[in-house]
Amino acid sequence: MGVFTFDASVLLLQGDDLLPFLDGLTTNKVDGPCTTVFTNLHAKIIDVCEVIPFNDQVVLVGFEASKSNLIEHLRVRFLGRNITLQDVSHLNQVYLSNKIVNAPEGSLHHTSFFGKMVICSTAKPVEVTWSENDFTEYRIQELLPFYGHEISSDVHPLACGLGALVHPQKGCYIGQEILTRMRSRNKMGKQLLRVENPVDDALTVGKTQSLVIRRV
Amino acid sequence: MDCGTCETTGPMVVVQPDEIQVELTMSDKATEMLQQAFGDDRSHALLVGVLSGGCSGYMYDLQIVETTDTACQELTINGFRVLVPSASSHLLNGIEIDYVDRMMGGGFKINNPNASSSCGCGESFA
Repeated sequence: MGVFTFDASVLLLQGDDLLPFLDGLTTNKVDGPCTTVFTNLHAKIIDVCEVIPFNDQVVLVGFEASKSNLIEHLRVRFLGRNITLQDVSHLNQVYLSNKIVNAPEGSLHHTSFFGKMVICSTAKPVEVTWSENDFTEYRIQELLPFYGHEISSDVHPLACGLGALVHPQKGCYIGQEILTRMRSRNKMGKQLLRVENPVDDALTVGKTQSLVIRRV
Repeated sequence: MDCGTCETTGPMVVVQPDEIQVELTMSDKATEMLQQAFGDDRSHALLVGVLSGGCSGYMYDLQIVETTDTACQELTINGFRVLVPSASSHLLNGIEIDYVDRMMGGGFKINNPNASSSCGCGESFA
């Protein structure tokens, strides 16, 4: 079993109607725990987040590098709603695995698009058994995009292998018209592919194979 | 997980935009349609609000209400009480409430000078 950790942001949202609020801003159907994508008007990715209801709050786990953009995206849309936002990233460490992680009591478990996820207090860390290279090889085999590689603010979710997080029937979220038009016209543009090395345009380079985003 | 319910972290301060004293106008057609809806009853008001979401990020929200818990500015436009939530005032200043008489896609429309773009159905703007 491999356990990998990464630079994640952990935000806590408190307030009324949090799931409908998030549902209106993201590509996936948000009515419980899920992975979803915040997109901008051009359907480009702001952040890919885990939505985890937790007591009367919602935990949003995203990527640290896109945290400030995500917070700004949320802030301007509170519009007087009774919502508070806490950044508890520094208090928690997020781990990913291909199996359920044996984590300390009080840890929060979640099934993510990226694998089994566990969020632990930094005071009670989990042993990391996967190196960056191990995780890279796993991602290549699973055709799994990741932030800092395939997932960036330059691409839309359909181009970087996050099509499963774009709900086919859901309407009215930011960027929806573009994504729906691409699907309905079957003009998917670029797509995430696994190719044999050597590769010039690789976004993730493995021992024998790499991940690329190419027009097909 | 550490939810930060101790003194180590507090809620982030969400800076709300300054409230603006809203000015809005209503077209003759919209006035006529409101007259049909309200009749001589002025106990109710037209609430013109904004919700987050929609294809462009914000959605208009028109409701006929008697009262509301939301902090609002109250205006009298063409004889009708119009309520505008204070938190959305920066998005709604200068709008025109219009009515489009069409079989499909008709109804009340908001012409908003603050909107940089809007979605095809006209209900959402950015």
